[in-house]
Amino acid sequence: MIALLIANSLALASLLIMLSSGLALIYGLRDVINFGHGAIYMLGAYLGYTIALVGGFWLALVLVPILLALLGIIFEYLALRPLQRRSHIEVALVTLGLGIILGQVIIYIYGGEARSIDAPKILSGSISVLNLSYPVYRLFLIVMGLGSCALLALWLRYTPSGLYVRAVSQDPSVARMMGINADRLSLLVTSLSTAFAGIAGVLAGPYLSIDPGMDVAMIVNCLIIVVIGGTGSIGGAIVAALLFGLVQVAGSVFLPNLAALVPYILLMVVLLIAPGGIGRGRVLS
Amino acid sequence: MTGDLHGTATGTLGGRLSRMSLAIVALSIGLGAGAFVPTCLASDFVLRLGSEGLLLGMLALSVAFLMNQAGLVALGAASIYGGAGYLFAIGMSEWGLTPAAALCTGFLIIVAYVIVLGALIVRTNPLAFMMLTLAAGEMISHAVLLEGLRDYTGGADGLLVQLKGSILGIDVADLADPARFWSMAWIVAVLAGLAFWGIARSRLGAVLRAVRANEERMRFSGFNTFVPRLIGYVLVNVVAAIAGFLHVLNAGFVSPESLGLSVSTNALVAALMGGIVGSLGPILGGLIFAFAQDEFGARGLTQLLTGVAIVVFIVVFPRGVVGGLSSALGLFGWRREAS
Repeated sequence: MIALLIANSLALASLLIMLSSGLALIYGLRDVINFGHGAIYMLGAYLGYTIALVGGFWLALVLVPILLALLGIIFEYLALRPLQRRSHIEVALVTLGLGIILGQVIIYIYGGEARSIDAPKILSGSISVLNLSYPVYRLFLIVMGLGSCALLALWLRYTPSGLYVRAVSQDPSVARMMGINADRLSLLVTSLSTAFAGIAGVLAGPYLSIDPGMDVAMIVNCLIIVVIGGTGSIGGAIVAALLFGLVQVAGSVFLPNLAALVPYILLMVVLLIAPGGIGRGRVLS
Repeated sequence: MTGDLHGTATGTLGGRLSRMSLAIVALSIGLGAGAFVPTCLASDFVLRLGSEGLLLGMLALSVAFLMNQAGLVALGAASIYGGAGYLFAIGMSEWGLTPAAALCTGFLIIVAYVIVLGALIVRTNPLAFMMLTLAAGEMISHAVLLEGLRDYTGGADGLLVQLKGSILGIDVADLADPARFWSMAWIVAVLAGLAFWGIARSRLGAVLRAVRANEERMRFSGFNTFVPRLIGYVLVNVVAAIAGFLHVLNAGFVSPESLGLSVSTNALVAALMGGIVGSLGPILGGLIFAFAQDEFGARGLTQLLTGVAIVVFIVVFPRGVVGGLSSALGLFGWRREAS
């Protein structure tokens, strides 16, 4: 029972980690929260659906991140860079607007009804681990989530570009004085962030449903996680996503009537105890 | 050129005092005329749209005031607007209160809620504030759909309200009439606009703008930066709640859609469209939005255009219609003092 609960919460947390660490990365570099992240995730899911119909799930899992990384580059050049000198709130509102546009265009193309795709054969069905039978696809989700999380940590920790990203996140002006090109880094980070959102979208297909409300539902969860984790802290976001997954799954088991409200209660409790979140992010006030 | 015009106008009428009283007379004539002339000229359909625009304008007013004075963007206006409607409906149908009692109860619950919520979230930075208001709004719209509250809230179907009884001598059932409702909405919207106009010029407005500019410096200077922002947050939500009460009094019906994120973004767009500086812009923006929505809504384009409008107005016309007009004419130069 406890093992199942933890496994389920890890599966949910995997998706949330991929999305919220992407949000935290952009925030670290640009001081901007991308309110359109939910829509990008939704685009990933719908693109994944279409590509999976034509060429199968695995092709979608490879192709969608590449396509969305390209979208990230466009987003960086057409939105983030020209608006660099505007206030962060204004840029955040622009991302909100772009997210609404993207979401509406997707709904216009695909219509309002929910879609679903099946997991590939190799990932469907269940296997038994320690006398417990568990869906393979969720194990796959956990592996993907924790794997990408580990890759991200390795990149940030052991590569020069990762070092630069950490430096800019910690103190943008000093990092620039040391000769770090924040614009070039931002290009990398933005495309990485949207690519991760794309992977999350494809992975969400067989696990959750693909429907027109998925963007708002997911962005709200991610924002809660980013706030709990301490805005801009990637480590904090990962811990918060794990906590969020656990609380959400435990809530639906133990408090089924209130399950929808459990994340918000968690948010309020964290805000009450630590208004800056649990991580050591670069908080403005 | 414009200065000359001003000079001669005030010169011939003599002194500041008469200008003040002239303003008051002009205002009351405007208030009365705005409340009653359209009811004779416009069709019921146009009046309905216009009233909708005024309510949205009041929401936009609350969004714009907080944005302009405190630098905070609230994305949760819908939860207060719809929440007020729900509380009134529950008060009338479930608790069997008179309309006035239901209004007061709902109002007190909302004020208590925004004080608690505000105390939690106005301490954070502006970006976190924006995220948290969005999250809080979604929380309310989830709460309404909870299975356990279905008897109270009617779930996805919403609630019908039996409108009977009277408030301050006005028969509640009369407010379903488009012409009467327009008058009511007009007067309330103008008064709300005047109230915010006054607050922006009061000490509270000055402190809010100073905190927006540099919170740390204000704290070092010995100002409490928390309480003014909390008061500002409560005030704007009071106006949003009033708009919500008016809506349910007119429609006799509340639905979960009134709590949706799209209502909050519509209010934001209306504020940006009209211009967030001053009181005229947001209300005008609400009216423009309502008529534009009628034009494009049938084709299912409202939400798409909302997104486009957010981007276009922030990037290209950050000062909105009224801001753009006033800078073009240079007539409203005084308006910028309060920005």
